[in-house]
Amino acid sequence: MRVLVVEDDPDLRRSLAATLREENYAVDVAADGGDGLDKAKQNAYDIILLDVMLPELSGWEILQQLRPANTTPVLMLTARDAVHDRVKGLNQGADDYLTKPFDIEELLARVRALIRRAAGQTLPVLSIRDLSIDTASRKVLLKGADIPVTAREYALVEYLALHQGEVVSRTTLYEHLFDEDDSTLSNLLDVHVSNLRKKLGPEVITTRRGHGYCIE
Amino acid sequence: MTSPFQSIRWRLQVWHGLLLLLVVAGFCAPGYQIALENQLQRIDKDISQMERRLFRSLMESARTSLYPDTTKDKDGDRPMISLGQLMEYLREKPITPSVDVAALFQGHEPGYAYFSIRNSQDEVLLTSPNAPEDIIFLPPAKSDHLEDTRTIERRREVRRSSPSGFRIVVGRDISQDLDAASRFAWTQAATCLGLWVLGLGGGWWLSGRAIRPIQTISRTATRIAEGNLKDRIDITDTDSELGQLSKVLNNTFDRLNDAFERQRQFTADASHELRTPITILLSETQRVLKRDRTPEEYREALQTCNMTAQRMRHLVEALLQLARQETTQGLNGHASTCDLAAILEDTRIHLTPLAAERGITLAADLHPAPCVGDPGALSVLATNLVNNALQHHQGPQGTVQLSSGTRATGESFFAIHDDGPGIPGEHVPHIFERFYRADKARTSAAGHTGLGLAIAKAIVDNHGGEIAVQSTPGQGSTFEVTLRSDRSL
Repeated sequence: MRVLVVEDDPDLRRSLAATLREENYAVDVAADGGDGLDKAKQNAYDIILLDVMLPELSGWEILQQLRPANTTPVLMLTARDAVHDRVKGLNQGADDYLTKPFDIEELLARVRALIRRAAGQTLPVLSIRDLSIDTASRKVLLKGADIPVTAREYALVEYLALHQGEVVSRTTLYEHLFDEDDSTLSNLLDVHVSNLRKKLGPEVITTRRGHGYCIE
Repeated sequence: MTSPFQSIRWRLQVWHGLLLLLVVAGFCAPGYQIALENQLQRIDKDISQMERRLFRSLMESARTSLYPDTTKDKDGDRPMISLGQLMEYLREKPITPSVDVAALFQGHEPGYAYFSIRNSQDEVLLTSPNAPEDIIFLPPAKSDHLEDTRTIERRREVRRSSPSGFRIVVGRDISQDLDAASRFAWTQAATCLGLWVLGLGGGWWLSGRAIRPIQTISRTATRIAEGNLKDRIDITDTDSELGQLSKVLNNTFDRLNDAFERQRQFTADASHELRTPITILLSETQRVLKRDRTPEEYREALQTCNMTAQRMRHLVEALLQLARQETTQGLNGHASTCDLAAILEDTRIHLTPLAAERGITLAADLHPAPCVGDPGALSVLATNLVNNALQHHQGPQGTVQLSSGTRATGESFFAIHDDGPGIPGEHVPHIFERFYRADKARTSAAGHTGLGLAIAKAIVDNHGGEIAVQSTPGQGSTFEVTLRSDRSL
């Protein structure tokens, strides 16, 4: 999952990015509104964390320019807690609203919920035949048995499970699993897929040659 | 208004009622008295007239019988007779007055008249048949003629006694007149009462009208006390005393509301500015505590927390400083004579290392500038302005010039000039507002609280001075503070 954090305060930006990276998200950061808008338009993110008070362009303005073309979930982060501020944010197309200061666990839970909902899933546990993926504890279970997977492997299987039945192209997978600073080799994806097949069984992830991967 | 006599309206009413009663009674009672006396005078005159007719009639009879030979046609030629002769004549030979006169003195119909005549020996000479038993005569006169009038029971009598011994009492029944007088008295009393009640009613209405604004004021004040700070007393009558009081109260409410509003804004600003550093502290600590880490990672996180805490300390200090400046009026007893040049020199020495770090030279052109002020606050003012110049200086090197002096008008001034990037025109009107950052990219993380210039402005205001800024983008800015040197605060 790839996240864009738009926050002008350098310490907070750094801290949020570190937190999300430790949760195995691919994180891009932007320090001002202009940079944030550019990145949001250029890359495919699974969620955008958007501060309201930003230099250059405010969070509201970014939101206005993104919607309705871009449907990426947006979680607004702001120091304003008046009801009318929150209502304004939600009315302008934000998907959720979090008032500073917040607890990290709440932020992560909301991020997970927003990503899940954007993919059309309602439950935190994704079940596909014998396979179940618990997005809250980030665990993969096969017939009830905990299968140890690496962070990248988990991200890969979670993304495919969230988009169950869809053929996900290699480009899309690259975009959503690696952030802009990653310079991964293009065959790394194949390595992760073959490792997952070893752990979960060969039939879980199917390859559509020339199109991409899919969990059916 | 627990007891009616604690209410102003009731007290006014009681005083007004007593006073009005006094005035009404003071007019009505003498009026009745005068009317009664007039009536009695009229009765007295009436009685005297009857007496004269009786007397004339008696004299006529006496003369006719004493000088019978004189013809009736030549009345005037009959010799006059004296009172003594009349008395003598009456004693010896009872006579009756003429029929029409006798008709006056008879019966006991209301308003009947009577008479009685005696001599000095208390012999009854002549009396009307209806004369009451209890007539009291004046004593026999010695030298002067005696005469009086009196009211006895429901009769009025005129009594005379002459030195010759002739004593007469002529009286009249005045029960009709007394009844009329008493009717008049009752009418009078009723009129007075009516007037009094009317006056009371008018007074009640007037006092009610007069204190109605007080009730309005009281209701409005209650609403304000309940938290509706925007409410004001509706002033319709601006020139009355209560109108003026309302105006004074409204001004007070305005100022209180402003103070509350400032306080509220201050709290909102403070909490808003503190939210970001608190978020950093929470985020960093919660992230790091989630799992075991290397000492290096812990050190990094603690450093971030430390820096964030420092930032909060700066912010809190600045907020308190601003609060102190904004909540005091004037200098609050901290005034003393000081030289702006000395204060600026101290500031320059103090900030030179910081300026050197950024490659900026602090230049000075200081001339004595005496003024009356709070030296501590003025030092904060100078430091904030120089800090502001340093923080917004982007170039790798530059100069910040500190100057001070006295103007021809006698005012002292100091100026901080920098050769930095200047302030874009659209920001100039706002730079003294709290937390306004012309360059939004410079956030509070870099040690900017966004309060430095707001504090500077508050200090200058408290000194009754002026602060002005001139800026040309690309060429730098000049902040100039003017303080009156003779200000007595």
